[in-house]
Amino acid sequence: MPIKILAPKPPRPLHRPSHHDTSSSSSDSDSESDSGGAHLDADGDIPMTSHPSKRVHLDLPTTTSSDTSIVTPGELITSDPQWMRGHGTYIPPSTTSIISSVAGTVTRTNKLLSVRPLRARYTPEVGDLVVGRIVEVQAKRWRVDVGSTQLAALPLSAINLPGGILRKRTETDELQIRTFFAEGDLLVAEVQQLYGDGGAVLHTRSLKYGKLRNGVFVAVSGMGGGGGVVRSRRQVWTMEGANGAGLIDVILGVNGYVWISKHVEASEVDKAAGLNNMEESVSATVYSSQNDRIDVATMREIARLRGVVMALVENGLRVDEDMVVRGYQEAVEQAMLSDEGIEDVYLGGERGVRLAAALTGAA
Amino acid sequence: MASTQHHPSHVLLSPAELAYLHDALLLVPPIRPDGRGPNDFRPLVAETGILPGANGSARICFADGTEAIAGVKAEVERTVRRAGDDTVYLEEGGGEEEDVEEGEEVEEKGKGRGEKKGEAAWVELTVEIPGVRDDDSGTVFLAAMLSEALLADGELVGRLWINRRFHWKLYIDIILISPPLSYPLPLLSLTTHLALLSTRLPRLKSEGDEDPFFDDDWAAAPYLFPRSSSSKSQPAPRPPITLLVMAVGNNILFDPSKEELAVADVALAVSVTSSTSQTGKEVTKGKNPSNSPSQSHRSLRLLSIRTIDPPSRLTPPGVANAANAAYGAANLNNLGNNGQQQKAAEARTAETEAVEGVWRAPRGGANRAVLAALVGKVLEKGGIVDEVLDALEAVDLG
Repeated sequence: MPIKILAPKPPRPLHRPSHHDTSSSSSDSDSESDSGGAHLDADGDIPMTSHPSKRVHLDLPTTTSSDTSIVTPGELITSDPQWMRGHGTYIPPSTTSIISSVAGTVTRTNKLLSVRPLRARYTPEVGDLVVGRIVEVQAKRWRVDVGSTQLAALPLSAINLPGGILRKRTETDELQIRTFFAEGDLLVAEVQQLYGDGGAVLHTRSLKYGKLRNGVFVAVSGMGGGGGVVRSRRQVWTMEGANGAGLIDVILGVNGYVWISKHVEASEVDKAAGLNNMEESVSATVYSSQNDRIDVATMREIARLRGVVMALVENGLRVDEDMVVRGYQEAVEQAMLSDEGIEDVYLGGERGVRLAAALTGAA
Repeated sequence: MASTQHHPSHVLLSPAELAYLHDALLLVPPIRPDGRGPNDFRPLVAETGILPGANGSARICFADGTEAIAGVKAEVERTVRRAGDDTVYLEEGGGEEEDVEEGEEVEEKGKGRGEKKGEAAWVELTVEIPGVRDDDSGTVFLAAMLSEALLADGELVGRLWINRRFHWKLYIDIILISPPLSYPLPLLSLTTHLALLSTRLPRLKSEGDEDPFFDDDWAAAPYLFPRSSSSKSQPAPRPPITLLVMAVGNNILFDPSKEELAVADVALAVSVTSSTSQTGKEVTKGKNPSNSPSQSHRSLRLLSIRTIDPPSRLTPPGVANAANAAYGAANLNNLGNNGQQQKAAEARTAETEAVEGVWRAPRGGANRAVLAALVGKVLEKGGIVDEVLDALEAVDLG
């Protein structure tokens, strides 16, 4: 079937608390009166028999119902002074009302109100493993797109020189800065430092970090809505490919950029160089932009893994090692049962939905 | 990120990524990054009639979030009459009166195609893409390609004819709501097609060349493109569609994504329409008397072919290990002078010859055999275009 056209999903009916659905206020249920202090105006004609603070408490969505109430920027969440403001909110000067600064769902932790954004750019934190793309080469540093509000910086002094030589960076290094990383190159790095404005400084001074090759890139943007990459214990792992494929490396950048590639073993010569020399031998290949020979089976499984990641995101599931590995196994099984067999790696549309259902059902 | 956004069709990829993508698409069968088959389209979500103020409208949304809305608005406009328009009958010679009568009869039946000729100026098409100026060359090119396909066979403008003094003027506005994540041409074309399918014009009550006078009842308004054809043997005429097709090596891929387009050897925008010509009639008549759309094989007519400059030609080449100064520097130091000479020699070969696993932008013209195969595949009877048209027809025109 070359093309599949689906009818749009009906909008999800917004669930309201039952005491809200009086005949008089049903018409304005779409307006901002559904949250917090503004709700008090809706039945303002009734003398305040009940405690207003208790009402607010009832109205505030708990974590279980948080997916049903969406606030928009500038929307009043509550004007009760007993609440503390958290992320995604602000208090205008000389008032006590808490107002949302992003579009998202309200979450409550004891007395702290915060809004989880539906879509958000990545906020770097020191120590995060990120996948980035060079977008600009400057005299002494690169500017790297990490999906944040600003470009991250990678100084020339924060990379390993080929061969692991330890020395001061000279003018020669500055002149041949493009031999290390050029525009468009993908790299995996760690956030070393943060500027006050939220900009990040990266470093690649480890054998784990460096230029990426032999694989495919997926950008999984938007951390909200339950989907996307979450910070977890392991962001990088090597897994066995099914159907005769080799080992596959998966790098889940905390910033939502994902790299899936063929696993490259250090060659025998390099291994023989011994433990002391390891840094030199490995980093000799670190700035290569030439792909190794990749067999068809591995390429197919890499495409399947990419499909799994996309299906997880499209269905609002989190992307971490557990989900990707389980999703991959499920996808391999589904492909075996399908008519086309293992050669069929397509996981979009309905198949992605089926995959997500199988994963959440098992959990 | 402002600095990463260039042209809508441009995407920044590393040489290693490009080499990988190219190698995967060269395989037989190709492995596309999203796992689709070579002929498969991305799944769409489509609906029509979303703009209550327009004569027809549609919205199409890809799973990746690219979304377009098209609206069609119609206005009655006075036809500019040129000197000589009326003298057509006199020039034909012979029995003038008979000719006139015949002409009128034909006109009443609604089949006098020569009489109901429209003009290209009767359709105005605008495209808007967020973040791009509307006089940007890419946007203008897109709009030109879309309107070229619509006007090519005169079918659409012929339907806008009211009488000799008046015609409908059609304003087609296409807006891409999301940032262009892939080359938006097929999305915009499919959305326009759906919007035109759902377009209705008020029913004409007046006759002949008098000032047009329309039926108030919107429910009675006929579709611009009738849902089912009046004659059973002939499939109903449909607005044209423009498809984006690309080739890598000998592999032909439909509906390429942005990444795939970045390694394309050739990319073509092919506009086709289901023909209502005499030959097409005969073909369908012979094959199936029943008028079920799934069985009827339209005879397709090629309207236009435009080559899209694939962004792959603008990509920087990859550096082979042999030519890479930052590669294997440790070994180089150990080997000394001798090794340096050897490396320089290797570098020269790397710059001139193709090295496996290193990206090289396609050079030179397209392979003519591939181009022919590409167009042939689009025009294949009962092929992809047929399925696309059937799928679009099946969309509920609410």
